[in-house]
Amino acid sequence: MRALKADAILAVTIIIMATVYLAVDASLPSARLGDPLGPKAFPALIGGGLILSAVLLLAETWNKRRALADTASAGRTAADKNLTLVLAAMVIWTGLYYFAFESLGYPIATPLFLLGLLSYFNRGRHGVNLAVALGFTVVVYLLFSTFLGVPMPTGPLPI
Amino acid sequence: MDSLHGILHGLAVAAQPSHLLYTLIGTFIGTMISHLPGIGPSAGIALLIPVTFGMDPSTALMMLAGIYYGCMYGGAVTAILLNTPGDAAAVMTVLDGYPLARAGKAASTLAIAAISSFIAGTMGVTALAFVAVPLASIALHFGPAEYFGLIFFALSTVSALTGDSLAKGLLSTFLGLALATVGIDLQSGVQRFTFGILELQDRVNFLVVVVGLFAIAEVSRMVEGTKAGTLHIVRVKGRLWFGREEWRQAYPAILRGSAVGFFCGAAPGLGGTVAAMLSYILEKKVSKHPERFGKGAIEGVAAPEAATNADTCGAFVHLLALGVPGSGATAVIMGAFIMYGIQPGPMLFQTHPDLVWGLIASMYLGNAMLLVLNLPLVGVLARILYVPPGILLCIILGIASAGVYSFNYNTFDLFLALGFGVLGHAFRKLDIPKAPLLFGLILGHTLEQSFRQALTISSGDVTVFFTHPIAGGLLLCAAISIGASAWAKRRPRAALKSAESRIEGI
Repeated sequence: MRALKADAILAVTIIIMATVYLAVDASLPSARLGDPLGPKAFPALIGGGLILSAVLLLAETWNKRRALADTASAGRTAADKNLTLVLAAMVIWTGLYYFAFESLGYPIATPLFLLGLLSYFNRGRHGVNLAVALGFTVVVYLLFSTFLGVPMPTGPLPI
Repeated sequence: MDSLHGILHGLAVAAQPSHLLYTLIGTFIGTMISHLPGIGPSAGIALLIPVTFGMDPSTALMMLAGIYYGCMYGGAVTAILLNTPGDAAAVMTVLDGYPLARAGKAASTLAIAAISSFIAGTMGVTALAFVAVPLASIALHFGPAEYFGLIFFALSTVSALTGDSLAKGLLSTFLGLALATVGIDLQSGVQRFTFGILELQDRVNFLVVVVGLFAIAEVSRMVEGTKAGTLHIVRVKGRLWFGREEWRQAYPAILRGSAVGFFCGAAPGLGGTVAAMLSYILEKKVSKHPERFGKGAIEGVAAPEAATNADTCGAFVHLLALGVPGSGATAVIMGAFIMYGIQPGPMLFQTHPDLVWGLIASMYLGNAMLLVLNLPLVGVLARILYVPPGILLCIILGIASAGVYSFNYNTFDLFLALGFGVLGHAFRKLDIPKAPLLFGLILGHTLEQSFRQALTISSGDVTVFFTHPIAGGLLLCAAISIGASAWAKRRPRAALKSAESRIEGI
């Protein structure tokens, strides 16, 4: 039943997003220049399609809800909540890494980022983690900057 | 150039030392990627596109195609040894592959999987070479209305046949189409949905979306696997070959699986997972002992493995002949074609014969290379499975970040990829298929241009889409595929569901 509730929330969210999309589309200038449709018509069709699919999803959810009316719903376990927290922390940590990507430079930001992640996912193996973080950074930096000619940001390091 | 001459000419192109080397590198990388649970062919190809900067397009595309079929080839290894498909298409291989490995037959099962893939791949490439040319010559007569019908048909089938819910498939497609409208409209010069962000003026980078949706999002699955401790590896022992009895059981399944796989690949949107599922169901139906399936039937490994590899070749049919991808991974390869300034489609056979025939012929050579890689070296390559998943997921995130930055050298793309990573995780949790979004994003621009051009030519008369017989026929097929999907409610999906629940359960 939890999945069905999530589907209903998804459908409503999509309807709201599609309405915003259609409103932005309506505010675009109607520059036709020999084109009978202009830049607004196709997005309007897509917005309509999004709303129609969300309505279809609501109908599917309603049918499934009736079929599953008697089944008991499983609640969120402590493990589920823990996993969500871990994933949220990973997203924040990755976001911080991206903020520091150019200012600190690839050779400093990457080993710090990897060491942080490895300390959690490969606990207690400090030597291995340090070797992986530094080794990965050196290999990827050399591969991109030297062999492929794709310059990675160096930050304050005078490389 | 007819098909036979094309193949011979292509073999001469593909046999050049640099092409051979990069085909080998591609197949090797593909095999390695397939051993990494979490990274599939789409993300693998997208991640490695920056590596091809500076290469000539033929070499680059041979390598990228090698990654694709290398991935499909090697997906069986994790399915058989780890009870986790290396890519989604290998999900059916798990059903019988893992029980066979647990019964001490890991080596012979891996050998059958490799031989099945080789035979199906070779048959598939031959069929591709002979089907693509006539199809391309028909497509040369397509105008905007026909192209609109074709893309609409491809999008409707991928919406209808991917995932378990028609509504979610459509939702994913429309989200992809909506993303495709972001940026400057080429006909009017109007900025659409950019919200003043400079980086969005040149549209949403397709590769950033692929890496976010497929690589970054899949890291979350690895985190779940790591924390749940669901990964139990069977070690390979003994000689990597099979007995006469196993071959007798497997070879008819390989031939049937190859045919099913190629047809599934040639139908836009069906994909390797459906090919594997249908071939597995077919084998179970024709078997005199269907009760063995799910407990360790060698045909249950041979047929889906053959089907997924033949499907790869089928998926190239429309990419090369029509300019419409046949699977998520060929959608990424289509993105690479466009990045190199080459428009895939019917003109490709005339404007770039060296490239297209060289690419097709490189698949023959790549298949032979994969057999060599997968038979004697499988034990060595499988060692990648013994790397702790906690380390692997960090490395994948590191590679994804470096790859995304290298597309445009800006951190905006990194945040965008992270955003799509979160979206991809939500898609997985909500059972929304990702492939339709990719199709919508990559085909949305052409769909809109064909739509507008057709209406400009007809002075705004919408009946143009129905009065042109090919366009009308394709739109009718699209309506039938949507209607049939809604009516059938995907009963065969039960087999796939059972496979997935077994993977999660063990």
